[in-house]
Amino acid sequence: MNIIETKNLTKSYAGFTAVSNLDLHIPKGAVYGFLGPNGAGKSTTMKMFLGLTKPTGGSFTINGRKYPEDRIEILKETGSFIEAPAFYGNLSGEENLEIIRKILGLPKSSVEEALETVGLVQFKKRLARKYSLGMKQRLGLASALIGKPPVLILDEPTNGLDPAGIHEIRSLIRLLPGKFNCTVFVSSHLLSEIELMADNIGILNHGHLLFEGTLDELRFNANSQGYPADNLEDTFLAMVDADNQKRGVTK
Amino acid sequence: MSVFLEFKKVKRTGFLPTFLCGGILAASFPVINMAARTEIYLTQQGSPLQILFNANWQIIAMLNVLLVITGTCILYNTEYASNAMQKIKSLPTRAGSVFLSKVILTIFMCILILAIEAVAVTFCSYYWFETGNGFLIGLCKNFGYELLLMLPCITISLLISEACKNIWISLGIGAVCVFTATMLPSDNFNLSLFPFAMPFQVFTDTNIEQAIHYICNAVAEFVVLCLLELVFIKIRREFE
Repeated sequence: MNIIETKNLTKSYAGFTAVSNLDLHIPKGAVYGFLGPNGAGKSTTMKMFLGLTKPTGGSFTINGRKYPEDRIEILKETGSFIEAPAFYGNLSGEENLEIIRKILGLPKSSVEEALETVGLVQFKKRLARKYSLGMKQRLGLASALIGKPPVLILDEPTNGLDPAGIHEIRSLIRLLPGKFNCTVFVSSHLLSEIELMADNIGILNHGHLLFEGTLDELRFNANSQGYPADNLEDTFLAMVDADNQKRGVTK
Repeated sequence: MSVFLEFKKVKRTGFLPTFLCGGILAASFPVINMAARTEIYLTQQGSPLQILFNANWQIIAMLNVLLVITGTCILYNTEYASNAMQKIKSLPTRAGSVFLSKVILTIFMCILILAIEAVAVTFCSYYWFETGNGFLIGLCKNFGYELLLMLPCITISLLISEACKNIWISLGIGAVCVFTATMLPSDNFNLSLFPFAMPFQVFTDTNIEQAIHYICNAVAEFVVLCLLELVFIKIRREFE
C-alpha cells in the first residue's frame, strides 16, 4: 500500500517547469530516497506535499488524504524538515519544540522524547541561534520527529553535518520506520548516502522522474540499459547525464 | 491559546520591553509638560482631560504609532530571521489565524501602553487640576476611543511587516507613513481616515456624531485590512 501517491504532479513558474508530471509511489513503512542533482525539483516536490507551494497541475494523496481539501489533516500527520533548519533563534531548543508541541496538541513528554531521539537533551536550554550547524540540523529533525508522525519528509537532512553526525542521522533514519512505525521520504543529491538508508528510490532530473523502484531494480535497469551497475553512484551519474543529453542540457 | 503562543515566540526579542519603555516614555510627556508649563495650562478653559489631551496627545499618538510599527516589525522579524515562518507554515495552522493572533497580541500591547498613559493623565489631572464627577468615565471614553482608532494602524503595520521579509523595509515604510500622517491636516475628515493618521484624533475635540463616524470607519478599515490579509496570503502562495 502506498502512503504517498502523486499523479501528474507539476509545478511551473513563469517560463520554467520545476516538476513535470511526476508520478511517485511511496510504500507505507519504507524509507524512500528521493535522489537528484541540485535543482532537479526535489525540494519543490516536498514543498508541494507540505502546502508550502501550490502545484500548477496534477494531484497527490498522503495517507489517503487529498490535497488541497485535507491540507490541515495532512500536516497533522506529517513531520517535515525542508532545505535548512527553521527555528526561532531567540528561543532555546526546548522552547522551539514546545511551540510545535502546542500547535500539534501533543503531550508534554513529546518534547523530551524528540530531544532524546536526536541527542540534544543536554543542550535543550541553549538558545537555538547559539547552536552549531549540526545541532541546528538535529533541532530541525527533532521538530520533524516530535509526536512520531506517520509520514516524515526530510529534505537533505545530513547537510552540514560532520561524518560522525551524518552516520548518526543516517542510522536514525534507517531505524525510524521500525521504531515509530512511520514512512520516511528523504531527499539527497548523493546516491552513496541514499544507498545506505533507503528501501526504495526515485531519481529526479530537471523535474522528470527517471527511475522509481528498489536498489536491485535500479541495478537491473542499469544493466539492461547499458549503464555502469557496479557502483550506484556511477549509475546515477550516467542516468542523469544521458537524460541531460536527451534534453540538450549542457552542464 | 494562539495569542499566548505568539507571545511566547517573541521571548527575548525586546517586544515587551519596547512597549513598556515606549509607554512610560509617552506617559512621562504630559507629566513633564505640565510640570514645566503649569501656569500656561492652568489658565486655560476646559476640562482637565480636554486641556491635557490638546496639549499632549499629538506627541503621545506619534510615539504610540511608532511603537506599533516597531512592535509589529519585531513580531514578523522573529518569524523571518531563522526561517521559522516556513516551519510554522508546514504545521497544521492557518496563516490567517497566525496573523489574527498577532493582531490581538498587538492590541493587548496597545491596551498596556494606553493604560500607562491613562495613569499619567489621571496623575496630572488630580495633581494640577480639580477633577469633577465623571472624570474616570471621561478618561475611559477617551482612551477607549484612541484604542479603537489604533486598530487600522495595527493591522496595516502587521500587513506591511508580513509582506516585507527585511525588517528595515517595513520599518522604513512605517516611518514614512507616520511622517505623512503628521503632515496631513487633522481637520480634514477624509484625509484623517489614513490608518496612520487616525490615532492622532482626540475624543474631547470631536463631537459625538463625528466620533461615531471615526469609530465606524476605524472598524470598517480594520475589517477590510483583515480581508486584505486573506487575499495577500492567497496571492503570495501563487508565487511561492
